[in-house]
Amino acid sequence: MIYIESTSDNPELSFRQRWNHYLAVVVVIVCIIIAVNLRDAALYAVTSYTNSTVGISALYPRNWLINTTGDYVFRVQDMSRVGFKTTIQVGVQAVSTNTSTRNIVDALTLNRSQTLAAYRSLPADNNFILPDGTIATEVSYTYTAINADPFLETIPTVVRGIDIITIKRGQAVIITFLTDSESYEADYDTFSRFLDTLEF
Amino acid sequence: MLLLIAPTQLFAQSSTIDIDRLQRATVYIMQTENVGTNLLVTCVSSGTLLSRDGLILTNAHSTVPSQTCRGETLIVAMTTDVSEAPVPQYRAEIAQADIGIDLALLRITQELDGRLVDPTSLSLPFVELADSQTVKLDETVTVLGYPSIGNEPISSVRGIVTGFVFEPRNNDLGPAWLKSNAEIPGIMSGGGVYNQQSQLIAIPTTAPISASSGGTANCVAIQDTNLDRIVNASDYCVPTGVFINALRPSNFARPLLRAASLGLTVATSTPSAAAISATGTPTFKRLFFAAAVNPAGMPSSVISSLPAGSNSLYLFFDYENMTPETVYELRVTTDGIPNSTFSLSPVRWSGGAKGMWYIGNGGQPWPNGIYEFTLFADGVASPSQKLVIGVAPSTEPVFSDITFGLLDSRGQPQGNGFVLPAGNIASARFIYRNLENGLNWTVIWYLDGTEIRRATDAWNAGSSGSSVNTSIEVAEGLLPGSYRLELYIEDRLRATSDFTIAGAQEGALPQIFTQLRFTTANSDADALTSNAVSNFPGGVNTLYALFDWSQISPTTLWTLRWFVDGVAFYDQTVPWNNVQTGSNFLVRLSAAGGLPDGTYSVELRVNNVLLQKAQAQVGIGQLPIDRFARASGVQLRGRILSADTREGIAGVTVIVISEQFSVSDFTWNQDQIYDLAITDSNGTFEISRPLAYTTDTLTVAYSAIVSAQGYLPLTADGIEVTAETPNPLNLTIYLNKD
Repeated sequence: MIYIESTSDNPELSFRQRWNHYLAVVVVIVCIIIAVNLRDAALYAVTSYTNSTVGISALYPRNWLINTTGDYVFRVQDMSRVGFKTTIQVGVQAVSTNTSTRNIVDALTLNRSQTLAAYRSLPADNNFILPDGTIATEVSYTYTAINADPFLETIPTVVRGIDIITIKRGQAVIITFLTDSESYEADYDTFSRFLDTLEF
Repeated sequence: MLLLIAPTQLFAQSSTIDIDRLQRATVYIMQTENVGTNLLVTCVSSGTLLSRDGLILTNAHSTVPSQTCRGETLIVAMTTDVSEAPVPQYRAEIAQADIGIDLALLRITQELDGRLVDPTSLSLPFVELADSQTVKLDETVTVLGYPSIGNEPISSVRGIVTGFVFEPRNNDLGPAWLKSNAEIPGIMSGGGVYNQQSQLIAIPTTAPISASSGGTANCVAIQDTNLDRIVNASDYCVPTGVFINALRPSNFARPLLRAASLGLTVATSTPSAAAISATGTPTFKRLFFAAAVNPAGMPSSVISSLPAGSNSLYLFFDYENMTPETVYELRVTTDGIPNSTFSLSPVRWSGGAKGMWYIGNGGQPWPNGIYEFTLFADGVASPSQKLVIGVAPSTEPVFSDITFGLLDSRGQPQGNGFVLPAGNIASARFIYRNLENGLNWTVIWYLDGTEIRRATDAWNAGSSGSSVNTSIEVAEGLLPGSYRLELYIEDRLRATSDFTIAGAQEGALPQIFTQLRFTTANSDADALTSNAVSNFPGGVNTLYALFDWSQISPTTLWTLRWFVDGVAFYDQTVPWNNVQTGSNFLVRLSAAGGLPDGTYSVELRVNNVLLQKAQAQVGIGQLPIDRFARASGVQLRGRILSADTREGIAGVTVIVISEQFSVSDFTWNQDQIYDLAITDSNGTFEISRPLAYTTDTLTVAYSAIVSAQGYLPLTADGIEVTAETPNPLNLTIYLNKD
């Protein structure tokens, strides 16, 4: 058996080797930046929605399912989410000059308490400033959601929701965010980005 | 994706019937009474889901509060496992009910804990109604229902159709009852009877006889309702009924279903159409037989025997003091032996309070023998009547086919046959056979049950003929009301018929209802002064039909029918309960969310004779298409498993894309979705909307997406099912980690 031993008397790198190292580091950094950008592009990709009749436009996460046939202007849901499907919904209600935001909040609370299991308003309604400077009211609540199919075995999920309500141009705009309470903090960023793009 | 899909369970199907879907669509209904904090079961029945948003067809006697079933809360239990008893899931309310025909449509409105249900969020399995007029003798039927008071799983019984029972109701609906040899326990009343195409053809029906009415009630005490800590005879019991042999055809449910699914409500604002009230004991009398009936529901002639091979027979009788809650029954014996084929199990009364009725059997030959017919009202027998079948063709004198009219100048009767205008004279024409000149024959005329004219004469018109006229003339005028003519030969009744006199005379025809028109208004009072309109904008909430009336006697039965796009959704025959002549009778049609676009029409009838009809258009004049109306097809269900752990993944979305789009066309818009499902905690999913079949002439190819965060998505195009595809189609889908 033959053994070949290679040794160097001079441990210092040559100029060319040094620059090769620098170049490799730069390439890695650039690749990381590109990867992060690609990830962000995929993660934060959006689709636009415009409803000229109601006067609302927004950018919502790409590949979220949009529904415009309910009693709301539009609703988007993250259908790839395992468990409760994170939901953002925008609705409008007719109001009179005597209708206050508090009236809208009360009506929502009363209606939801009849349809949602274990519905509970969370304390403290807060003022919320929308990106265009409009002052709105923010309401938090929780309830439990369960698959409506009676033939399936489903364990209820605790859902945390936020309503942001403002009255503008003779109608109340209600922006609703619903998500699994366990992922609330992480998902709120998505909602924030949505609010940033919302115009009405 | 197709490579990843492996059918895990191919159900052996002995027939084409989709028993799995039918079982899931069959529900168990408990009528309960609130006693303190407890719900006590007062009545039970089976029912069938007719729509994905929770409309349930069942019997009225077990759901509408009454003396026998006094509860006010309806609980709906469903079969989640076919080998286990049903599990309570929802609360329901009565959307439509017809107590007489004993059908009710319930609407699921609440979760079991009382929370309101959004109907659009429901996606329940349901069945389609068949046209029950297409049912044939000897056709195989499957009956589904719950055979006990909630203890046993759903049960199915097979049998064949053995006959058809006719009663004087809306002839357009076909027979009033189907008969079957299937042995159906009484507690399965309200369930479903299906043909081989898995369509609902009838509802097994029997009504318990109220114990308080003197009948014998089949009843089971199951709860301590008086809180004495003992369950015994002093506790309220749950009626179970007797074995069922009467099936109410599905066509009788169509008007209720149409009205309930569209949310339509009809109300008469003018005080009429009062509830039928009876003060005495229900009574049957004057039983006689006829071989045929005419379109007005009158006997062709009166017979006392039938030749061998006869296949239709009608038992006529007069009734009094009947209410929609009266339970009647027909027991037939042949040569002294009970004959269930021609008997009718106890059912609710669907006629008025007083009049003439018939129970006819058609479609199957009557074996020779001596038949005895006995009618029971609330368990109490009336005098019976016998008939011999199998004798030689009769050569006895016969009067038959009486019709009424006003004679023209040539002596020919004119008019519609059974409704005559008020005047001085009414004439009848009839056919005669086998007579001899010189025989004594008698004519008797009645008004509202009271004899007003009798004449006996010697026959002189010869042996046989197409017609003879007999008339009644009253100088001061014939009063509006219900008349009857009886024809006797030698003191034996040979023919009889009822007719109505009402309305002003216009030619030979009566003008009873006039100025039938539509309008809309904010209130009933405003409607009386509003202009007639025939085209209404879409979304109108209330539509009024108004008409004037002339010379109608109180208690005259009249019929009000409403149609939308040619399909009836309201059909009531009630006694007139108003002044004889008046104007602006108001009928209000409303729907909470606005009347759906469509063409609405109203018909007014007396004695089944159409007297007035009018039509109005709302919106585009056509009902919107219900894309969820179809119940046939392949049910897709299965499990989503992790390829690593082989365990079910909860909360995964399975999207079936509409056949017009492929996966590449899909833009994540709800409008493009055929149906979707989300897996439960075991990874099990069900696509509730059945997939349509690909046939030789039509290709239906769906696409699908299975999407779950953390797993690689699966997509597939070109998913087709055919008649050979197992139903339900069970799939196992493996997902690989991202």
